[in-house]
Amino acid sequence: MKYESQGVAKLYFIAAIALFVGQILFGVTMGLQYVIGDFLFPEIPFNVARMVHTNLLIVWLLFGFMGSAYYLVPEEAERELFAPWLAKLMFWIFLVAGALTILSYLLVPYARLAELTMNDLLPTMGREFLEQPTITKIGIVIVALAFIFNIGMTVLTGRKTVINLVLLTGLVGLAVFFLFSFYNPDNLVMDKYFWWFVVHLWVEGVWELIMASLLAYVLIKVTGVDREVIEKWLYIIIAMALISGLVGTGHHFFWIGAPDYWQWLGSVFSALEPIPFFMMTLFAFNVVNKRRRDHPNKAAVLWALGTAVMAFLGAGVWGFLHTLAPVNYYTHGTQITAAHGHMAFYGAYVMVVLTMISYSMPIMRGQKAGNIKAQVVEMWSFWLMTISMVFITLFLTGAGIAQVYLQRYSDDPLPFMVVQEKIAIFYWLREAAGLVFLIGLILYIYSFFAKGKEVEFVEG
Amino acid sequence: MRETFTKGMARNIYYGGAVFFFLVLIGLTVDTVNRLPETDNSQNMTELVIEGKRLWEENNCIGCHTLLGEGAYFAPELGNVYTRFGEDTENIKAFIKYRPVEGIPNRRSMPQFNLTDEQLEALAQFLKYVDGIKTARNWPPNVQG
Amino acid sequence: MNAEELELKRASLSALASLLNLTVLPVIGFIFLLFLYKQTQAQTIGRYYAVLGIKINLAAAIALIIVTGLMLLLGGFYSPWTWVFVISYFVFVHALFILVATWILVRSWTGKKLTTTFL
Repeated sequence: MKYESQGVAKLYFIAAIALFVGQILFGVTMGLQYVIGDFLFPEIPFNVARMVHTNLLIVWLLFGFMGSAYYLVPEEAERELFAPWLAKLMFWIFLVAGALTILSYLLVPYARLAELTMNDLLPTMGREFLEQPTITKIGIVIVALAFIFNIGMTVLTGRKTVINLVLLTGLVGLAVFFLFSFYNPDNLVMDKYFWWFVVHLWVEGVWELIMASLLAYVLIKVTGVDREVIEKWLYIIIAMALISGLVGTGHHFFWIGAPDYWQWLGSVFSALEPIPFFMMTLFAFNVVNKRRRDHPNKAAVLWALGTAVMAFLGAGVWGFLHTLAPVNYYTHGTQITAAHGHMAFYGAYVMVVLTMISYSMPIMRGQKAGNIKAQVVEMWSFWLMTISMVFITLFLTGAGIAQVYLQRYSDDPLPFMVVQEKIAIFYWLREAAGLVFLIGLILYIYSFFAKGKEVEFVEG
Repeated sequence: MRETFTKGMARNIYYGGAVFFFLVLIGLTVDTVNRLPETDNSQNMTELVIEGKRLWEENNCIGCHTLLGEGAYFAPELGNVYTRFGEDTENIKAFIKYRPVEGIPNRRSMPQFNLTDEQLEALAQFLKYVDGIKTARNWPPNVQG
Repeated sequence: MNAEELELKRASLSALASLLNLTVLPVIGFIFLLFLYKQTQAQTIGRYYAVLGIKINLAAAIALIIVTGLMLLLGGFYSPWTWVFVISYFVFVHALFILVATWILVRSWTGKKLTTTFL
């Protein structure tokens, strides 16, 4: 660790992993509710479990992004963090606010929570992924502003590398587009249209900037490939991400009452959205192949390659699978969407944060890389989580195809719940894969505590 | 691509492409918002419908159902539930009203939200209004949603 | 450009043609690949990648077209379960072939053969 203030990232990463565990526990619970409908009913109904599952994901990824930025930016800028105390303060505020919000989902009926937090003054609750009470949303904005101020001052007063500038652009975009979560018009079509300005422009827009810059940073570190080469790749990847992804928002406007021209625009531009992810794969393969040194942290290299591959599969291939309007007409709002969502979020964002953690955690704990046993355990956890996520995706895809056929495509369409019972086998298999994922996650946590022979490091 | 394609060119594609397509998105958004009255059924957006939307949100209905295909995939699509329930808001109200508090053994069941008759009416009117939104190709493909 | 550089160029072009055949230019990519094969000399890196490209695309053709065709034939066109298997299988295996071809492309850029240690 070159700069002492990089160490604040450790707090953020520990919180991120803890919330990740919570997310998976609720995921496994929901998976069971899919097949045993009354499991934990009425104490934890499905909608509550899902809200906890998705909100924990968002919160822990934000912790991961912030931690990554706090680690990476000082090193790139070649100076200490502008205000380390602010980073620590914001950590505790965000953690307490996040934990309180999640607990309130579990302990108070949602309608009562809306009443308690005076949702009527500025109604923003009750929309998918944006379920947080308005007061929490305001808290998120405050934390994000303080964070961006801290990071921005560090970047602007230090060495301005491409990685830092791209990361900063992504983070500013993240904060700006979140402001649309406060816009909740009574007109449902308008509501849905602008809801995507948060959701799509996050995950298929500015988050890709964050992801690409984190990946580029780790790849520079572990491969020793020339920065110039990596920066050129970085620019062209994020250029393609925005060129395809901005108008690609249109693939969400097919069936919500928006004009028909979105069928064409959304199909054409979102068909290009796999390109940046494919380029990320090509980029990661290429620089690892041309590496100038063998970094002792093999686990981090594995995560970096895994991120590129799984993001391509989940976001690229599984996105393309149902993005064309004639296909989406049948698949919209089925388990196909769930399949894509799982692999894309895991492959792109979960894995890039775990890549950063894998690379930086040993350094923050005073080593160049984890000991041999720790790395072996970590790699096992990589394979268990990644392969089980592939299976979760395949089973949900199977469920989705059967659902589309029976409920939408056949001459004699069956009711939703009848179809759900017919495809229950896929949900059982998905649940089994989910349990394997949980085992992988437990191993992942164990890898931080495993003791073994230290690795030797030879600078190449 | 290595020698002839410089980092400066890559950077310009990034800035140029991002700004250009962001402006395109804004232009299309303005056009979309102008055209929405043709399809969005806003002429039927009464006070009751607006109250219904708030109830829809404050009971987190989207946590299980889809509405025009967006939401969770645990419970049926509700964008066309008015059609599916025989174009009668009374059927919708009765369904929500008589959900068993303790659920149904082994099966998925909608929670009992203890809504008042007035609230039930608002929610049903909201769902009726959503059914009136003119979606492209009359999505969903059939009455089952 | 000397003979060796020419073969290196053909090697990366072959790997590219093979990737294109698997993605946006099916059939055309393969014709291009056969054309490159004819140009390359025996025992060169160009020939190696041309042959590798042909092999992987033939394997892909068997795995994607023939196996999928058999699944449809045996499962029946009007059964939902046929489509469950056919679509999941096709998408996943196709993606795997693309990933392999991408790695081959990256290897061809360094002028080395495919098989050395991966990490």
